[in-house]
Amino acid sequence: MTEPVWGPVHQDIVGLLADHPADVPAVVDHLTKLQDLLVRLPPLEESCPLADFNKLYLVITSTVLDGLYDDRFRDPAFLARLDVEFAARYFDALRFWTDSSPSTPKAWACLFKRMRGPDARPLPSAAAGVNAHINYDLPFALVTTFDSLDSEPIDGSDQHRDYLEINNIFAERIPQLRRGYLDNWQLMIDMVNGDIDDWYQGELVEYTRNVAWRNAQKIWRCRHDPEARECERTRLDDNAALLGRLLLSPLGAFLQ
Amino acid sequence: MASEVDTAPLVGRTGTMATLRSALYDDLRPGQTGAVFLTGESGVGKTRLLSEVGDQLRQAGALVLTGACLDIGDASPLHPVRQALRRLDAEQGEARTASAIRGLLQVFDEETPGPDGAGALLERVAQGLHLVAGGRPLVLVLDDLQWVDRSTRQLLLYLLAGLGDLQLSVLAAIRAESLRGAHPLRRVLTELRRLRSVQVVDLLPLDRAATDELAAAVVGAPLPPEAADQLWRRSGGNPFVAEELARDRRDGRDGISDTVREVFLDRVDALPQPAHAVVHAVAVGVEPVEHWLLAQVVRLPEEELLDAVREAVAHRLLVGADDGYRLRHRLVAEVLASELLPAERAALHRRFAEALTAAPGELHQARLAHHWRHAGEPARALPAAMAAAREAERLHGYAEAHRHWSAALTLATEPPAVLPDGGRPEPVEVDRAELLSHAAEAAHHSGEHARALTLLEELAAEESGPPVCALHIRRARYLAAAGRSAPAEEEYRRVLASPDCTPHERCTAAARLAELLLHLGRYAEAGEQAREALALAADVPGSTSEVVMASAALGFSEAFLEDPAAGLAVMRRALDTAERSGGPEDVACAYLHLADLMTGPLNILEEGVVVARRGAERVAELGLGRTWETRLLAVATNGLFRVGQWAEAEKVVAAALRHRPSGADAVELLLARCRLSVGYGDVEASDRDLEAVATMLAGGGARHVLPMLILRAGLSMWQGRHDLARQAVQRGLTESRSDDVIVLATLAWHGLRAEAEAAAGRTIEPDPNAVRRLREAVDRVTRKSARAGAPVRYVADGFLALCDAELSRLDDGRGDPALWERSALEWDRRNHPYPAAYSRLRQAEALLGRRSRVATAGKLLRQAYEMAQSLGAVPLTAEIRTIASRARVTVDAAPGPAPVPRPRAAPAGPAVDELATLTAREREVLAAVAEGLTNREIGQRLFISERTIGVHVSHIFDKLQVRTRVQASAIFLRSRPG
Repeated sequence: MTEPVWGPVHQDIVGLLADHPADVPAVVDHLTKLQDLLVRLPPLEESCPLADFNKLYLVITSTVLDGLYDDRFRDPAFLARLDVEFAARYFDALRFWTDSSPSTPKAWACLFKRMRGPDARPLPSAAAGVNAHINYDLPFALVTTFDSLDSEPIDGSDQHRDYLEINNIFAERIPQLRRGYLDNWQLMIDMVNGDIDDWYQGELVEYTRNVAWRNAQKIWRCRHDPEARECERTRLDDNAALLGRLLLSPLGAFLQ
Repeated sequence: MASEVDTAPLVGRTGTMATLRSALYDDLRPGQTGAVFLTGESGVGKTRLLSEVGDQLRQAGALVLTGACLDIGDASPLHPVRQALRRLDAEQGEARTASAIRGLLQVFDEETPGPDGAGALLERVAQGLHLVAGGRPLVLVLDDLQWVDRSTRQLLLYLLAGLGDLQLSVLAAIRAESLRGAHPLRRVLTELRRLRSVQVVDLLPLDRAATDELAAAVVGAPLPPEAADQLWRRSGGNPFVAEELARDRRDGRDGISDTVREVFLDRVDALPQPAHAVVHAVAVGVEPVEHWLLAQVVRLPEEELLDAVREAVAHRLLVGADDGYRLRHRLVAEVLASELLPAERAALHRRFAEALTAAPGELHQARLAHHWRHAGEPARALPAAMAAAREAERLHGYAEAHRHWSAALTLATEPPAVLPDGGRPEPVEVDRAELLSHAAEAAHHSGEHARALTLLEELAAEESGPPVCALHIRRARYLAAAGRSAPAEEEYRRVLASPDCTPHERCTAAARLAELLLHLGRYAEAGEQAREALALAADVPGSTSEVVMASAALGFSEAFLEDPAAGLAVMRRALDTAERSGGPEDVACAYLHLADLMTGPLNILEEGVVVARRGAERVAELGLGRTWETRLLAVATNGLFRVGQWAEAEKVVAAALRHRPSGADAVELLLARCRLSVGYGDVEASDRDLEAVATMLAGGGARHVLPMLILRAGLSMWQGRHDLARQAVQRGLTESRSDDVIVLATLAWHGLRAEAEAAAGRTIEPDPNAVRRLREAVDRVTRKSARAGAPVRYVADGFLALCDAELSRLDDGRGDPALWERSALEWDRRNHPYPAAYSRLRQAEALLGRRSRVATAGKLLRQAYEMAQSLGAVPLTAEIRTIASRARVTVDAAPGPAPVPRPRAAPAGPAVDELATLTAREREVLAAVAEGLTNREIGQRLFISERTIGVHVSHIFDKLQVRTRVQASAIFLRSRPG
């Protein structure tokens, strides 16, 4: 074929993705290495839209890792697994993209397509990644985690509280990353709130993440039914893709 | 015809074939297991590879079992395995194998629901497979694993962990598309792919060259460049698509159809009417569709049917095998799905259902329910769904049973459809409350707690539902299982407060509540509640289970509240009650609680081990060997390890594993055995057990992850792999619940030891962050253990002493001898020679490093050496030798070339009267020792002082030439008359 998907860093990325991190320290390590590779991707290099997201994700995950070491969560086993499962879906999407597979989630594909340009502003790029990752990946990561821990997504449980604690991490880290753009950022996060109908309800990341929790509960109930599960997956993928494309459109640039 | 149904050669998969063959067969050493999971998108050639590899391995001498999972979402448990056996049965000529296969199939047919049935079934299946294999390596080939049922998944992990004692390899294919989203296999694969015995192979589409080669092979000549380009673009290297496109080109239909969908639509359109009907019938059926069934559904005369089938096969839409017909590919099914009108589809389902109902012999209820439901006849689907649920429960497949009961509930509320003749079927009389009750219980057993609770609410709303008190107890049980303690407690309290509840119900609630409070660490309240339960039980006949449960809660709460003697007395009384008036399970349960109490919070290890072994013998007599004997032996093994009787522990764990346990019981035994192997320095055996544990844990069981990581760290340190030890510990730190003080303390010690040794040996770069986190963990343990119960504090303090000492090593590079001395004394006090010997070694090392008190160091080294040697702790012994030789200290009277091999227990002597030398009083004392009584208890029984008992015991030890109560008990039991 023509040029490999990842250009000059293709082999490095394939090699990195061949490994499947199984704990949170390994996830952080993986994201760090990925960041080093993404900023070397021509022509955009430092301003690669995916690197913008990856950087944000790395900061969030590192903070989660510190939280795990610091006894911040009630059920670290749950949160650690959720973190690994969550990241696995991002790495899966990258692998599908690397193989040019039609299975690449649409929610991610719209961001990956922009890797070679045209350039998008860092904020909407990162937001597009956050959108795909939270609105599409997170509900499934939750379901898989609960399934493997013989537990269930119950409101008010220790796990739910830990899950909501991540919102505080977003709140802590994002202002530092985007000082001065905070209001716009919050508006953006409002907009990427799951279903389009829910746009105007806005309550920051908390809201989006709560949509993910609700979606997880929905999938949980039909998880043994392959057809219903696939139907739910397609719905989430389509919704997230719609928002993602919007974020990366010229409209998204108003954020910055 | 042969030329029309020919298959294209397998192209571009030479490397993959070789990988599969070596992973599944060539590189597999006897007794090992191996697995390859093949993932890839539809049409990439998974099924083809499965069959090619299967053929090769069959030729190489393996026994190959081939099955496929079903996508009707509600197949019966273990379906693919049973299907594989039936297939093999059909093609098998050899009499011995055939009878083994029938024997195993019968195991499934005769299974009955019962306690721990699921584990026992796994064991029986493993044994059956062993017979079927008859010494040949066994290969299990499973297609469409994305639809696997939970029971089959558990069976696979059980066999791959080596617990079935079977040389087996598994080759399974999974559609990559299905793994997106929240598939339960995702997590399993993430865990499995880290193991050496497992490979996950992602089967990619063909590259350009291979696609060209395939097309050329189909067409018979290389394609012109333009056509080859087009084919490559359209197929994207998908071999199924490429082959079919090339075939159309060869047959002159090129260009008509652009996509594979169009290719197959064209072919379906080209079929004559009878063949058309055949293809649609198979698409609606559950594959494989047997010939007789197809005949009844399409209603063609035999000759015409055969012609029609031949036609469909020739058009590459259908394939036939001994067990029936299947569509050629999943993609064909997708094409056909949109081709039928709903009414046509329903009519076909009805015909299938009618034919299956009329057929003699075994009814496949799940399949029947599926067809009736899709035929739009809920009333007729309902009894089949209920039968399928019972069938699933019989095979312990509660997840499947739950789905069938739920389906039955839905069916019961659906209005009956109008029949083709215009009439309505008779409504089936079902007891909705009964359905709800079954559904709730099945949901509870399969871990669907929220669903179980919802169903229970619906049941409560039914008029004919169970009485209020029974509902409260059941709700509490479900809530407790879901980890929702507060509402569970409320439910129990409602029963206790309600005047409508019977004394038995109140007694049950009190006992269960006591147990719940104990788990919540509310010891005083647990004790109070347990006393209430015991008081209630006094007036309730047949409440032995409640007595045992409440006594255990009381015993533990007393132990935690620092009145160990009282706790022990309570538990002993409970055992008496169980023996007098309880069932076998009550006796077993009482023994287990007693042994746990003694080896756990009371820390009277030797007596606890004796009780555990006595209990194991007793429950084996009662016929509960598989479950309860295994558990009791696990307690004995861990106790023996801690008191330093490793050879004995090894024997006990081997005996326990002979029961081929499964689930959490198996994991605990494997961990216990691995702990011994790590101590012995047997890298290979430790590795094998850690792999087996990880395999089992891939299916769930988070609470065993940390013990596994701790052992991994311990093993890595003996191998000088401090990087791996660090990795395991850091992972452990991120996944440990901070209230589990003992685990955290053990983990922190392993981490600090690894860091200290890495720094001393300069094996890896120091990591200040890792050390900082370990310090923080130590602080946390110190803080939290101050608030924990005395027994927890006692154990944690031992590890904290080790941590402090390791930290001193990290701080100044030499270590503080005073801290190591303190650690050694702490562990001496706990009767735990292994860490005590280790601490002495480090104390000596620290002294030598300061060049002070060299004589003391020599003495310490000799002590440590003697302890380590009597344990059989090879790596520790070796390290002591190294340090000793550096300091020119002789630790061994006659230094041998290598550390002694692990000691084996002496063979049992002849059954002469070994007790001849004992006085009558000593025999009395020994009998009590062999019951697992403590000196104080023996004193109370024989009305002499505890101190006198101590003197008797030491005389007994001298005369029998033993050093421990366990050994003395063994001699006593051996010499017992009868």
